[in-house]
Amino acid sequence: MGRVKIARKSTFIDMTAMSDVTVLLLTFFMLTSTFLQKEPTTVITPPSVSEEKVQEINYVQVLVSPQGKVWLTMNNDTSKNFGNEQMRMALLEKVSEIYNESHKNKISFTPAQKQAFAKLGSFGVPLAQMGEFLSLADSQEGQTLMDKWMQGEDGNPNHITGIPIGPSQGENNLNEFQMWMKAMRQSDNSTLTDKIKDGTGVALKADENTSFDIMHMVMDNLQTIHMNKFTLLTALKAGDE
Amino acid sequence: MAEVQQNNGGGGKGKSHQKKMQIRVDFTPMVDMNMLLITFFMLCTTMIKSQTLTIALPSNEKVDNVENMSQASADDAVTIIIDAKRKKGSFDVDSVNGKVVNEVYYYFGKPGGDAGMFGPGGTILEANNNLQKSELLSDEVNSAGIHTARGIRKIIQDRNKEVLAEIKKLKEKYASGGFGSLETKDGREKAQEAYNAAASEVRKNENLKKPVIIIKSTPQASFGGLVSALDEMQINSVSKYQIDNMTRVDSVMLIDYQNKHHND
Repeated sequence: MGRVKIARKSTFIDMTAMSDVTVLLLTFFMLTSTFLQKEPTTVITPPSVSEEKVQEINYVQVLVSPQGKVWLTMNNDTSKNFGNEQMRMALLEKVSEIYNESHKNKISFTPAQKQAFAKLGSFGVPLAQMGEFLSLADSQEGQTLMDKWMQGEDGNPNHITGIPIGPSQGENNLNEFQMWMKAMRQSDNSTLTDKIKDGTGVALKADENTSFDIMHMVMDNLQTIHMNKFTLLTALKAGDE
Repeated sequence: MAEVQQNNGGGGKGKSHQKKMQIRVDFTPMVDMNMLLITFFMLCTTMIKSQTLTIALPSNEKVDNVENMSQASADDAVTIIIDAKRKKGSFDVDSVNGKVVNEVYYYFGKPGGDAGMFGPGGTILEANNNLQKSELLSDEVNSAGIHTARGIRKIIQDRNKEVLAEIKKLKEKYASGGFGSLETKDGREKAQEAYNAAASEVRKNENLKKPVIIIKSTPQASFGGLVSALDEMQINSVSKYQIDNMTRVDSVMLIDYQNKHHND
């Protein structure tokens, strides 16, 4: 009646190889990743068969929400001469110049406010409130407050979200959206201005359900300041050639 | 692997009989952490870059001299009007799952044909309405894998068949290696380039009969509809197209059509 002795085997699994693989994968994702830019509104771009890829640097993105609100993003070169922070500060100066030409209530910004603006990805508040908006950056939780304002969720009815835009009133009566676009075109970054001229530098990003009414207003605004060429951001559609 | 065995030299006579030590590092927590990090990076990255569609709009400046404006001949002109689907019997926009459904209407040549839509004194000649309804549909593929164009695509392809026939020839030439060998990656790129040049030549060829498509959109239509219409231009190799504003006669025709067919 001899019992079969079962040798006790260790259940230790060697995880070294597994660890190797995960580290490799991790390295891959870290190197290839470009982080999603936080945007004030989420839009689903319409599908298209176009295969042109979006620019990574040197372009202006116009984000349009289905409700007709507009935010802008200015992406500059990664080079030292025309870095994002520098160009954005110059942009703010330029746009206040243009604004002051036609408004009684002059606006100006402190160096700290300009610094705060340079760090912004997307922006979209009226110029008259821009000073107050940028001053938030100094306070605690400033970033969260600014984000909330831009998303229109800060609960303050006086805070306006989105760059003021309306039906185009002609070249001599620009609205703030047109002023911003004009200031972008006058940027010192010549690569950006060249791209704006040939159309690849201006990208309209809108939800597929946005009504044509709103899109037409935005496009008409651009046409009035002689920006007749631009690109529409779309998502890849499989299937059709 | 993750074990380090300590052997003491070996040759000793057993005087200092040190215990054999086995150092084993457990990598499981390390793997756990890595997996978490991978998940984080996977969720936070955008692998697919957005595509772009370049459009050029006409200048907004008023043209004083109407004769200077480039005019499409009535023979070639196809006007496409994109509209949102309306609720039955009303002009409210209908939506399915929160999405606007786009409908597309088209007419050839002048609105209302040669006679026009308006009679003497501004009366509307309903009988002249040459607006027709179609749909934005992609190809239908049967079990044998043969594509059949439907909806507005079929109409555009029919109007643009001379160009499309040439493009098809070029595609066949490309596939059979007529633009250079497709064996190597370098060769493929060169062949693709040659093909693209030849295709754009064909699209611009003045000797071929091709349509001039005018895309219009009602205020209620969605942006997605416009992009789909622009897509159709690319799919069907239409070289001359234009985004334009609705005119009064377009709206009249559209409302007239919808009034007539509101029971469909």
